[in-house]
Amino acid sequence: MGDYRKLWSDLKMDLEKHDVLCSVLPELYSNVYLSQENRPDGMNYFNFVVSEVHGLRIEELDNHKKQGGKVLGTFCVYVPDEVILAANAIGVGLCGGSQFWIEDGEKVLPRNLCPLIKAFVGAKISATCPYFQSCDMLVGETTCDGKKKAWEILNDYVPVHVMELPQKKREKNIEDWKLEIKDFINVVEELTGNKITFENLMNAVKICNNKRQALKRLYNLRKNMPSPISGLDSLLISQIAFYDDPLRFTQKVNELCDELEGKIKSLKPNNKKRIMITGTPMAIPNWKMHSIIESLNAEIVVEETCTGTRYFENFVREDAQNIEELIDNIARRYMGVNCSCFTPNTGRVEDITKYAKEYNVDGVIYYNLSFCQTYSIEYKKVEDALRKENIPLLFVETDYSEEDSGQIKTRVEAFLEMI
Amino acid sequence: MIEKNYILFPSYNHGLALESLLKQNKIQYIISPTPRQLSVCCGISIMYNKKDEDLIKKLIDENKIDILGFYTLER
Repeated sequence: MGDYRKLWSDLKMDLEKHDVLCSVLPELYSNVYLSQENRPDGMNYFNFVVSEVHGLRIEELDNHKKQGGKVLGTFCVYVPDEVILAANAIGVGLCGGSQFWIEDGEKVLPRNLCPLIKAFVGAKISATCPYFQSCDMLVGETTCDGKKKAWEILNDYVPVHVMELPQKKREKNIEDWKLEIKDFINVVEELTGNKITFENLMNAVKICNNKRQALKRLYNLRKNMPSPISGLDSLLISQIAFYDDPLRFTQKVNELCDELEGKIKSLKPNNKKRIMITGTPMAIPNWKMHSIIESLNAEIVVEETCTGTRYFENFVREDAQNIEELIDNIARRYMGVNCSCFTPNTGRVEDITKYAKEYNVDGVIYYNLSFCQTYSIEYKKVEDALRKENIPLLFVETDYSEEDSGQIKTRVEAFLEMI
Repeated sequence: MIEKNYILFPSYNHGLALESLLKQNKIQYIISPTPRQLSVCCGISIMYNKKDEDLIKKLIDENKIDILGFYTLER
């Protein structure tokens, strides 16, 4: 167990407050994760990453910076990692999933805002997240009004570049997004001093596609009845995807999939209900819904969320002949992600009904972070579509606090009995 | 379910070195965040079953792996 206090101190962290955060994780993780029965051996790598979440990876970022490299923090699956990687920079996902940061977030933000935004702003202003402290620049986007305005506040602490994500999916919007990606390339080149070329961008596209392929392989294994891996473990892997080294991560996910492929042959059917989660993202360490659902007679087999299928579905086409074509392919891949910030967003409803069949789900739980308007409004469209298909649906709106856990458990229990 | 016995290390690479030995020798283990009751430093520890303790100690001696010690938590 390394002593990282000097590193944290150099990052100008509030060590005393950070220590409170560190004291919670081992027990939380042990209760939620290590208490699961029959976990795959391959999960040890992810146990390792969580154990070293504020240690080893931060040390890696520090070494990268000592060699002149830059670190960029991102908050959304629309920010193209390919651009960051191509410039030999490291991208880390910074969405906050802990109640710990809410209080600090509320010092500068209204209380009636989604917990994800309050948590990531709280993490920065309280100087208790070493990832935030390692970032040379944050990359925001315009996926909701709350985030849009939060960037202005964060910009007082660290430089923020905001990408303007279009709100419709017409051809002219894709052209706009291409221009945003080109602007982003200029910003990243200026920050890093590294030129983004066709070759290094193509190499980055391949790294990201391989990572997507590994996650897709994992999700495909979950289609097996029963799934060879819990929803909790799959969620953790998705969460770690946002900040781990992409090459190492891809290798470890593939090794895990090799193990799971061997395991499925000996699995016997269980009587657990197969559940899809759809809705808002679950940033680490937000394991609340999964741990409630999987403590009952159910297994989560797919997440149609940003910490699920939206992160890895659709690949960037690798058939480009020059950088212009490659940027076009990147723009089209990202514009193919179906977030409720778009209008209309029929693609998401189609995805949900398609996954319901592919993963053979018994029911869908619509997970909505409090005050996330676009997702809560879009519920109606999802409800209508699933009713036509006779797929049971439960809406749960919640935040990071544990106060409503008992109530949610009762509702999920009733839902499982009904389906 | 694995028992709550832990091996603590001065740094993660010693833990990973032991992990690969445990894997080679097919000894059951789980990598875990170090429980707060055992140390205030964060980082990895390895959980193991008491029945394997002598064998693990032998592997540690033979391969000169630095550890901080063996600990058991009461439930």
